[in-house]
Amino acid sequence: MSETTEDAVFLEHVTKTYPGVERSLRGTKLEWKGPALWLRNLVGVARLTSNMAPSVQALSDLTLRIKPGKIFGLVGPNGSGKTTLMKIVAGLLQPTYGTGFVAGTDLKNTREIRRKVSYVSTTGWMGLEWPLTAEENIRFFATLCGMPTPLARIRTEEALHAVDLWGDRRKYPSQLSNGMRQRVILARALLFHTPLILLDEPTVGLDPVHVQVLLDLLRGRLRTHGQTIVLTDHQAAEMEAIADRIALLNAGELVMLGTPAELRASLREVTVIEVHTEEMDLPTMPSPALVLAAEHIERPGALAMRTWRVYAHTSSEALQTVLDWIVQPTGRVVFLAETAPNLQDVLALPRVPYGAATSGHGESVPAHREALL
Amino acid sequence: MTTSNRHVPETAPSHGPGRRRQAWWREFAALWAFGLREYRIWQSYRVNQVLWMTNILVTTLLFFLLGRTIVGQAPSLLGAAYGTNYMSFVVIGVTINIFINTNLSDPYIRIQRSYFNGTMDLFLLSPMSVYTPLLGLMTKSILDDYPRLFFTFGFGMLLFGATFNFAPWPLAFLFTVLFLAAGFGLGLLSASLFYLLDIKKGTEPIQFVVQQLLATLLAGIYYPVTVLPKSLQWVACLIPHTYAYDALRRLLDPGARASVAVLPIQQVLPGLSPVLIDGGALLLLTVILLPLGAFAYGCGIERARRNGTLTRWQ
Repeated sequence: MSETTEDAVFLEHVTKTYPGVERSLRGTKLEWKGPALWLRNLVGVARLTSNMAPSVQALSDLTLRIKPGKIFGLVGPNGSGKTTLMKIVAGLLQPTYGTGFVAGTDLKNTREIRRKVSYVSTTGWMGLEWPLTAEENIRFFATLCGMPTPLARIRTEEALHAVDLWGDRRKYPSQLSNGMRQRVILARALLFHTPLILLDEPTVGLDPVHVQVLLDLLRGRLRTHGQTIVLTDHQAAEMEAIADRIALLNAGELVMLGTPAELRASLREVTVIEVHTEEMDLPTMPSPALVLAAEHIERPGALAMRTWRVYAHTSSEALQTVLDWIVQPTGRVVFLAETAPNLQDVLALPRVPYGAATSGHGESVPAHREALL
Repeated sequence: MTTSNRHVPETAPSHGPGRRRQAWWREFAALWAFGLREYRIWQSYRVNQVLWMTNILVTTLLFFLLGRTIVGQAPSLLGAAYGTNYMSFVVIGVTINIFINTNLSDPYIRIQRSYFNGTMDLFLLSPMSVYTPLLGLMTKSILDDYPRLFFTFGFGMLLFGATFNFAPWPLAFLFTVLFLAAGFGLGLLSASLFYLLDIKKGTEPIQFVVQQLLATLLAGIYYPVTVLPKSLQWVACLIPHTYAYDALRRLLDPGARASVAVLPIQQVLPGLSPVLIDGGALLLLTVILLPLGAFAYGCGIERARRNGTLTRWQ
């Protein structure tokens, strides 16, 4: 077995570009309907005309290796390419360029990949069969996947217990809350001891208690079955608590990759100063040698107030710089505090793509730090 | 979390001896699961079942009343080939139309519904063949539409004076299998346009042109094709419906004559039995349409996988 097929996931130079979608004509006199729509789509598919709509680059030359038996976190803001990456790994999407293996299977062999991957997405509960109960839904999926009936019965019970839904097993999806529906599909993913479990923002819709139940479950399951778990989140804090390794994505590019400790270490030369001001814009930023970036943070309920996170080089002058920059000229600051940066802050900093300042699969923290800053 | 110690394989192995047999078995098991699910859903709509029977009764009654307006003219309208009982003629027409409409129109509709309510996403995440969900979803249509055969024939015979000659039923069954297969080939082509041409809403062109236009107007559901201009009779020869109506009426209508040519293609081949020509044409259409439909559907799925339109919610 080659090195690549030993990885749970190995992607090399994967790029995904979605074709552009023409601007909708809905609501106008020119709305495409009936035979006009058939003809337009036929012409488009046959490429008799060029598609003028701009295409969307979701992933850009991404190379990634995920070792088996680990929890791997993908973090990034909305539109960073996390779901696209998950769908490629799940066999639901074909990359535009690039190659890869999932649990030793070539990305092109999507049917075999589906045998090796359990995939749960945020809106996965849309796939529930509404005329069937929670238990029937899970057993139906087990049968579709070819699981023998006696085993399906046992595993369904185990999975429902695991997500704390055994008491609600006879309820229909319409009788369950969104969070409970989300747990039903999590149970569905636990049916199979597949080598790889993909969880796309699995904590969305869950209350804090069940987020903790899920995280404990994932850790426990990994120990028991040795499965690799890949999960995405746009909140880095949750990921820090559970993932063995984290990749930070932004605009389809891999920004950073490493263990939570490594990523935190890469920020040790950055300090964060949180500034609460009255409604105002910031004065022109001083030299980048002193201040790296500043971003506005939405604080619900803070009317007529603005919160800024200012990223500066760790130094004794950092606080003074901010005082000179914002406080003295405006006089409208109501609160100012220096804090340690978290992983979420990485995404706010000026960056260059991961690999631009490193070679091969090098993940040395100083190199990342260089590339990042 | 507890785990099972049972040594039962989760799914059939992907390699090794017996793989193909196990793979087939897995697909059948999935189809069976679909069947049970659809039966359960069908059962839960009891009022729908009453409406369903009322609809058949009204349709049959409509043609009974139409038939009464042409009392005495039926022999000249139907010609020598199809006997003299218009109710028998039309009961066969209506029944075949229901059957073939199910196989032709429903694949697209089922895919469309399943795509928008999110269940297709789930099916495409399972390791079953991409064709299995399509067949499985069709179970609902089969449960709904195929039993109508008994009601159309039953109402026709018991209430409205239709008579049938059931002696050649094995041959009639063979023709039924052939036209259903040809119809399903068209159905697969129709479903493939959901992904190939991104026609996600409304009607797609194959169902509209073949079923709603050609079959309704030209194939001879309610009248023989001989009432049409010759050029349109030739157009009617392009679709499987025409051959199914012709053959089954010749076989099942009392007084029908198997040797009288009706369709233009039968007239240009006078040496061959019209029923044989119908069978040959249906077989040819099946052999062409079924693989073509399966190929197009597979291509559609792969195109959607490339463009990112395979799933809606996941």
